[in-house]
Amino acid sequence: MSETLARPVSRPPAPPPARPPTRLTFRQRLSIADVKVSPYLYIAPFFILFGIVGLFPLLFTAYTSLFDWELLDETGRFIGLENYAELLGDDQFWKTLTNTVSIFVLSSGPQIVVAVLLAAMLNTKLRATTGWRVGVLIPYVASLVAVGIIFGNLFGVQYGLINSILETLGLDRVNWQNDRFASHVAIAIMVNWRWTGYNTLIVLAAMQAIPRDLIEAAVIDGANAVRRFFSVVLPLLRPTLIFVVVTSTIGGLQIFTEPRVFTELPGSSNGGAENQFQTVTLYLYQAGFETGDLGYASAIAWVLFLVIIIIAVINFLLTKRIASTGEADR
Amino acid sequence: MTALSVPFRRRTPASRGRRGFADRRARFWIYGLLTAFLLGSAFPLYWSFLVASRDNSILTEKIPPMLPGGNFLDNAARVFDTVPFWKAMGNSLIVGGVVTFTTVLFSTLAGFAFAKLRFRGRNALFVFVVATLAVPTQLGIIPLYIAMADYGWTGTLWAVMVPNLVTAIGVFWMRQYTVQVVPYELIEAARVDGCSMIRVYWHVCLPAVRPAAAFLAMFTFMMSWNDFMWPLIVLTPDNPTIQVALEKLQAGYYVDYSLVLAGTTLATIPILIILILLGRQIVAGIMQGAVKG
Amino acid sequence: MRQLLIRAFTGAIALATVGAMTACGGDEGGGSANTGSTTPSNEPVELTIATFGEFGYEDLLIEYHNLHPNVTIKHNKVAQGGPFFTALQTKLRGGQAECIVGIEEGHLSEHLKNAQLFNNLEEIGPKDVTKDRWLSWKYEAAKAKNGSLIGYGTDIGPLAMAYRKDLLEAAGMKTDDASIKSMFATWDSFFAAGDQYVKATGKPWFDSASQVFNAMVNQLPNGYINKSDDQLAIESNADIKKAWDQVTAAVARGQSAKLTAFSPEWQNGFKAAAFATKTAPAWMLGVIEGNAGPENAGKWAVTDAFPNGGGNWGGSYLGVPKSCKTPQQAAELAAWLTAPEQQLKAFKAKKTFPSQVKALESPDLLNSTSEYFGGIKVGELYANMARKVGPPQYKGPGDASIQENATSPALQAVEQGKSAEEGWQQAVDAAKKIVK
Repeated sequence: MSETLARPVSRPPAPPPARPPTRLTFRQRLSIADVKVSPYLYIAPFFILFGIVGLFPLLFTAYTSLFDWELLDETGRFIGLENYAELLGDDQFWKTLTNTVSIFVLSSGPQIVVAVLLAAMLNTKLRATTGWRVGVLIPYVASLVAVGIIFGNLFGVQYGLINSILETLGLDRVNWQNDRFASHVAIAIMVNWRWTGYNTLIVLAAMQAIPRDLIEAAVIDGANAVRRFFSVVLPLLRPTLIFVVVTSTIGGLQIFTEPRVFTELPGSSNGGAENQFQTVTLYLYQAGFETGDLGYASAIAWVLFLVIIIIAVINFLLTKRIASTGEADR
Repeated sequence: MTALSVPFRRRTPASRGRRGFADRRARFWIYGLLTAFLLGSAFPLYWSFLVASRDNSILTEKIPPMLPGGNFLDNAARVFDTVPFWKAMGNSLIVGGVVTFTTVLFSTLAGFAFAKLRFRGRNALFVFVVATLAVPTQLGIIPLYIAMADYGWTGTLWAVMVPNLVTAIGVFWMRQYTVQVVPYELIEAARVDGCSMIRVYWHVCLPAVRPAAAFLAMFTFMMSWNDFMWPLIVLTPDNPTIQVALEKLQAGYYVDYSLVLAGTTLATIPILIILILLGRQIVAGIMQGAVKG
Repeated sequence: MRQLLIRAFTGAIALATVGAMTACGGDEGGGSANTGSTTPSNEPVELTIATFGEFGYEDLLIEYHNLHPNVTIKHNKVAQGGPFFTALQTKLRGGQAECIVGIEEGHLSEHLKNAQLFNNLEEIGPKDVTKDRWLSWKYEAAKAKNGSLIGYGTDIGPLAMAYRKDLLEAAGMKTDDASIKSMFATWDSFFAAGDQYVKATGKPWFDSASQVFNAMVNQLPNGYINKSDDQLAIESNADIKKAWDQVTAAVARGQSAKLTAFSPEWQNGFKAAAFATKTAPAWMLGVIEGNAGPENAGKWAVTDAFPNGGGNWGGSYLGVPKSCKTPQQAAELAAWLTAPEQQLKAFKAKKTFPSQVKALESPDLLNSTSEYFGGIKVGELYANMARKVGPPQYKGPGDASIQENATSPALQAVEQGKSAEEGWQQAVDAAKKIVK
């Protein structure tokens, strides 16, 4: 391994390279080994675990996606890329992909903006700081069973609380289940309810780590609060914003639980009478576990994986741009 | 231990005290908006407590009563009669505790390496970690079950813990945070002092990333606590986690929501406590670092 | 201080982990005692049984253990059928399913499709357990195409018609026994009465189109799948289309309350008197009582008439997967549990309606009444309805999925304003995707 690979900063006080190689002391050797091996040791747990529990499922799905394979069969019939070809011509797949992207846009976008604003507010000097900070995370403690029951009742079309309130206010009832867009809005509300506080705390943790001197320097320079936020705070939050955007993109496009518990028919993966809010993950679950078409479901999983990667990379680049400064490191 | 830590985040006592009328009005808005957000966040949970403290009939009323009724203890007693509550709680604490501990440990280590150490293949390996997040997990339970059965772990808590000992999202999060808060200079200084890598991690990196680690701990514990489908598949009934145990409350074709929600409310209490304990860490971690520096 | 805390925490985790592991070690030891099917009947054996909902077996399993001290039984009980089925499929695929598994009637077709994963109970079960123990339709329905019996019948859900007596009277309809029976004699008379009710009250007649349609299709001699070749028959079977037309026409005339069965809205519908009739298998009575609440006691009634004869919705079987290492002992237990005497006890414990001929003749069952439904002898009523069920319809692969994911959603779409023809096309298209 060449010397250039080691970080200059973490290099031990080694003899100048011009001199003929002298014998290194045991301590020095140990130190070099430490520098070279440590990083791999530190990341090893993740990769070892991935080898034990992550790799096999991945290969399994990739393999079965090339087969006509029923869920409970020991073997399948090799059909090459036929599952994928069929998928591209499958109206339901495109419909579920549209639903997914629609719910994703309705949830992740507003969620991140609100999270950053809330974090900025929480980052000011407040009374009972901990209380507020813990408070925003409250929705996250709700168990999924509770979430399903709560929102099922809140968004009930005929007897739900929200429609009752709308009616009391003299507004029209909304058909939260059967109107395609309304159902997406309702699900996005569920998602935002659960996840905004989580993202807020993430952004807040990063905001708090910004050295005060930097902000105070900007204050002295006469920058107002808004300018300070955009030109000093936001760029420094870049690593965290990238994390938030990339994970929300991935999580948002894999959205499964919320539409599933939102469905009126308990346990159904249909996403409504006309699949109006069926997401891709619901569709792949339905294909795998209900229709029992494991091969096709695996193909859906892989195509979704590609779609997620593409959108995540686009969002990554956008975020990098929006929150960019001179700093070279991501 | 913390004596060495974080001299880089120094707070100057300047710029306080100019607090005028505009400032007070801004605070008024901040408190107002935060209160509104908090009420919106807490309402659905409060509503579920309302149902748990009354009975199912509250669900039919157009505008339900807004004060709790007196049935909560009765409903709670029925929960304890129906499910092995304490055993399940204990299991969930074990699983959550182990998974949280290892996830935080391994994620901070890996985050440190990815953020601050140079090694061959660093970027590619990091991209790989993030990419594993994008794999849909719904189909994974079948091959994962086959693998677990192969290892002989089904029916044991291992089957629930092992797949979650360290997560890609944890590594990703700790890496991003470490990039931001740990300066190279500090690592260098520690190295010059003769610190080994692991000591740099322990004395320099870990204290600096504590708020993020506390958040990761909180998040990991809650994920583990609320996990349902996988524990349901791999665990046996005499050894359930709390969500699997609570599922029993929905037996039969007629669902008694007040009973179910009493169960979920009870199961929420431990995580609320952990939330408050670790929530303090997120705040206190920063203050302490700053003060001791 | 903080150090101390961290150390204490780590120590606690280590201790806790050891605790968990030793507990698991014990389990492993128990499992390894299984020595295969040649075990003499007095050697220790451990059996696992997985059920969902309420089979009413808790006390019976203890009783069996007392009768056979060498047999220890672990009961894996899941409340909801959906997660149970997903878990069961995963375990079957991984070759680690429990020794006895509950099979819901709605999932029977999926399991029959994979009959190779189950033991043929006619082969391995006790020889004195013969088909005349059960109602013949119940027994025959669990036979795979290759003749293998994959499950012993536990309970059934014979259909009767439940109705709101007070609402019918308020609508000026006669509610004496003879009038009610003729009202529910055929689907034509049922829908005609619906028109009368809607005209008089302006309110819907039944809860949900799919709740009626599924019962109608289940009564047909042939279902969604051809028995001869397992091909889709939804288009070629004119009876199905006829039922579709009848139901969707009734929807168009305002007879459906358009509620999705088992949704919170549907549950509320019982209290809000949103509909006047309900297709009601035996187990539905508890659902009606729970949802309608004590304030509606005595308003609901149930009669031993059902349009076009009878029908069945729900009920279960006990199967013994091939992965079980002690299949004979498992089959013995399953046979014992599904004997008339035991099913009667389960009926008393959890109101699961027995499928055994002798149990249906038992005075205990025949004399059971329901206060909520006006003190009527529900046991006798449903025993009568159970005998009216015709020969079982062939449920080919995908049958259950078609009902859940093709016709039911399409009917819901029609209730929401889609035309009957477009809805039919939606159902057919979805069914074609399910049976490829």
